[in-house]
Amino acid sequence: MTYIVNLNALAGGLFIIAAFGILATRQIRACLKLFILQSLLLAASALLLGLSPFSIHLMAVAAINLVTKVFFLPWLLRRLLNEEVYTRREISQAITIPSALLIALVLTIGAYFFSLSWVETASAASAIRINVPIGLAGLLIGALTLTTRREAVSQLLGLLAMENGAFFAGIAIAQGLPLIAELALAFDVLVLIFVAGVLTRAVHERTGSTAVGRLSSLREEPHE
Amino acid sequence: MVKHILFNILQVLVVMGFSPLAVGVLNCLKEIVQSKRGPSIFQPYRDLRKLFAKDEVVAEESSWIFRVTPYIVFVAPIFVALLIPVLTSYPLFWAFMGDMVGAGFVLALGGFFAALAAVDTANPYGSMGASRTRMVGFLAEPVFLIVFFSVSFVADSTIPYIVQQKWVTPMANFFEPSHILLLVAFIMLILAEKGRIPVDNPSGHFELAMIEESKDLEYSGRGAALMKWGGWMKFFVLMIVFSNVLLTPWGLASTMDWGAILLAILLVMIKILFFILFLVLVESSLAKLRLFRISEFMSAAFVIAVISMLTSVFS
Amino acid sequence: MILLTVIAFPLIAAALAQLYPRSRLGADATCIAALITLAITMRAAAEVIAAPTHVLVAIPYWVAMDGLSALMIVLVAFIYVTAAFFSVGYMDFRQNGGSRRYYVNFNLFVFSMLMVPLMQEPNIVWIAVELTTLFSVLLVGFKNTHEALEAAWKYIVLTLMGASIALLGFFLLFWAAGQAGIEHYTWSGLVAVAPRMSPVLLKAAFVFILVGFGAKVGLVPLHTWLPDAHSQAPSPVCALLSGVETTVILYAILRLLPVLNAVPSIQADTWLLTFGLISVGTAAFLLLRITDYKRMFAYSTIEHMGIILTAAGMGGASAHSAAMLQIVGHAVTKSFSFLAAGAVLLLIGNRNIASVRALVRQAPLAGAALLLAGLAIAGAPPFPLFLSEFLILKAGLQNGDYLVVGLLTIFIAIAFFAIMNHVSRMALGAGEPASRDAGQRGALPFSCKITLIVAAVPILVLGVYIPDGLAALAALAAKSLGGG
Repeated sequence: MTYIVNLNALAGGLFIIAAFGILATRQIRACLKLFILQSLLLAASALLLGLSPFSIHLMAVAAINLVTKVFFLPWLLRRLLNEEVYTRREISQAITIPSALLIALVLTIGAYFFSLSWVETASAASAIRINVPIGLAGLLIGALTLTTRREAVSQLLGLLAMENGAFFAGIAIAQGLPLIAELALAFDVLVLIFVAGVLTRAVHERTGSTAVGRLSSLREEPHE
Repeated sequence: MVKHILFNILQVLVVMGFSPLAVGVLNCLKEIVQSKRGPSIFQPYRDLRKLFAKDEVVAEESSWIFRVTPYIVFVAPIFVALLIPVLTSYPLFWAFMGDMVGAGFVLALGGFFAALAAVDTANPYGSMGASRTRMVGFLAEPVFLIVFFSVSFVADSTIPYIVQQKWVTPMANFFEPSHILLLVAFIMLILAEKGRIPVDNPSGHFELAMIEESKDLEYSGRGAALMKWGGWMKFFVLMIVFSNVLLTPWGLASTMDWGAILLAILLVMIKILFFILFLVLVESSLAKLRLFRISEFMSAAFVIAVISMLTSVFS
Repeated sequence: MILLTVIAFPLIAAALAQLYPRSRLGADATCIAALITLAITMRAAAEVIAAPTHVLVAIPYWVAMDGLSALMIVLVAFIYVTAAFFSVGYMDFRQNGGSRRYYVNFNLFVFSMLMVPLMQEPNIVWIAVELTTLFSVLLVGFKNTHEALEAAWKYIVLTLMGASIALLGFFLLFWAAGQAGIEHYTWSGLVAVAPRMSPVLLKAAFVFILVGFGAKVGLVPLHTWLPDAHSQAPSPVCALLSGVETTVILYAILRLLPVLNAVPSIQADTWLLTFGLISVGTAAFLLLRITDYKRMFAYSTIEHMGIILTAAGMGGASAHSAAMLQIVGHAVTKSFSFLAAGAVLLLIGNRNIASVRALVRQAPLAGAALLLAGLAIAGAPPFPLFLSEFLILKAGLQNGDYLVVGLLTIFIAIAFFAIMNHVSRMALGAGEPASRDAGQRGALPFSCKITLIVAAVPILVLGVYIPDGLAALAALAAKSLGGG
């Protein structure tokens, strides 16, 4: 069944490209599409890993991910937020995109380096060797996206990309997770989106823009 | 032995002969996608014939560089065509003259002279375009190098024939993350080197916005024909490297008989056609990047190339 | 079964608040549910102390309670009571609109906090921790002002970032446990297979969980959301957030401690000591420059979380039981502090330290409460925090960690000085009492006054006398840290 391993590797490679893409894209709509692609790849990887040895848990993970992140999440975000939010783009950023990409590169190297010591304890099951470093790298790149973005939706997508990364590593190493954990996780993601969406709408209504990165009035300087 | 030399020459003839056709198909398809009729796919041949018949007008202030450049630009891809696997999967007579790094240098030589010639004529648009071309070029150089390094790291060689046999032919290696990432990086590189959207608009007439096209601005007659043809051949050569070495190394002749060679020619045409289709799709759906965003594009390509090397080192 | 009833009542109150927003049913149901929950948790704690194995099991391998969990839920229930009663008088829903929003989230928040100690499977614990964040975000942003929304956004983003990091840590933990051949994936199961687990994986899992959950606890460097969130939220919510929520997350981190101690090569103690001391130090220095009294109490939370972590890192039964006392003391004191701060805010109208002077003259009860809160949280005798900090320092000296003890003493002293400086000027200082802004209430509502008095009782008592039940519970809790 080596084609499963190969296809899984393909999914992994595209997963990390999607993670870089979320970091490097300016337009929010494009970020959202890349995130959907990333979630799709996560579901695909879960599906592949669940084929042999056959594991209903992983299939369920794939299905849950597909339903929540690929279908439900964009719909929910659209319901909660004004359409205009999606036409925004990041105009100015704390770090320029090439610098952010280079930092992400360093983070990926770090991810591979750290996970080297973890996966050598594993048997030569290649799925673990691919999924764990890429998952960790996805986590770190998501964190970088989160910190360098100013728009609310981009920060939210960075957060979700971090979870995608953690899951990508998790489906390879934590395969016996009980089903209830998966369902609860899916529910949790939905609640997260809902809450964050409500909050974003409130910020938008209150301040007229969703550039939450510019909110910096809570400081230590004395108020008048 | 004789057959080796013959096949090598045949290889070059294929490149020379079919590159205008490839560009013609590309232009026609682009127009068809936009619901227009498009020029005939043989139009580039007619352009070449027309240009060869015309007189050449050369600026007075230009130097020998301007006169020599068309020949260099024309010969460079031919030279590279000798080195890469176009029709056969086994190395041919002149194949050991240089490896991929050498081929890269030769192509860069052509580009270098073209840029110099553009400055040579004191046409302001020429020098502007030349400086922009160099900017894209120097951003693309690290990507080239990293691509070559990762390829040679995995295959233990930089000779394209060996790379193709060792690395890509086994199906197992095809889906590895390093391979996929390398493909993506190389596609971005081709888009940058050949001045395709999103880096540059090849069909634009507006000199202020030209990057690659400005190199051909001052030429006329035979010089223009050679520059154009050389550019098309460079494009064809890059596509062949991509298809035959990295993406789909199958279908190349592994024996010495003519039937296999002719079949190989046909298959190469088909592969190039698929690549052109993909390119048309990319070009029709993206918009041209603003000039300083090109550095973001190229840094993305660089990062992808380095990740590809990483994943092959660590697995 | 009793454990399931513990978490049932907040849910019922939330449901009632959701269904009947118009009447005062939400507020009343919350208060009643709080009282019932406190009674049930105290009963459950008594059962744990009395049971031979000191473990109560409701659903085997899923929902169970031991000494440490019992301590946590008793604390949560107690703060639930005080915060619920304080909310009744404090929250003015005419301006904000949405008593339903408040009470539903309030009860669900308490429900999730009660769930964390009771769940035995680590992944479910992670889910419960996420739920605490999600239910409290809307509470933090309740006031709907510019700053409140900023605080809420920072809160959700930083905390969930930490949660994702911790998720990877939990996956690694699961992997390591699976490799070691664990039978049932619970906290106690982990302790059983700990010696067989791969040290590399365990260390990686621990670091990820420490950093990830540390963001929620307020450990430096991911603490930046804490002063904002804990100052912008309505005061009863702050009492819950600072008093127990950070502690409950710290509980989740501390659950790993016996697992890590079984593998000595990991040096878990060093990590805990480092993070703890850095947090205490940062908080202490930042307290010097503070200008907002709610933020002052928030930084004090960071300081105390650091102290607890340091005490846990010191190792040894005496340090661990001192850490437990610190947890108890901090919970009651910090919640009281925020309730007092809320009272001051009601009277004065803004959060500046500089605008509050001679509060004791202006409003005796609020001023006295603020003074008491400041003294108690800074660690002055005869209050419980002084006792626990003293015990921690003593345990450290006994262990021989002189550097740690020295640093800790310096930081605690700096924080003490800073807090006392601000609080004494606010409560007793010379100068005219600040005129209150128009629209602020002139006097505290009755429920707030009663709650302040009731909540002050533990602070006054625990410093000198610890009831047997509480002492036994604390001892049990310390034992489950694997002290030794």
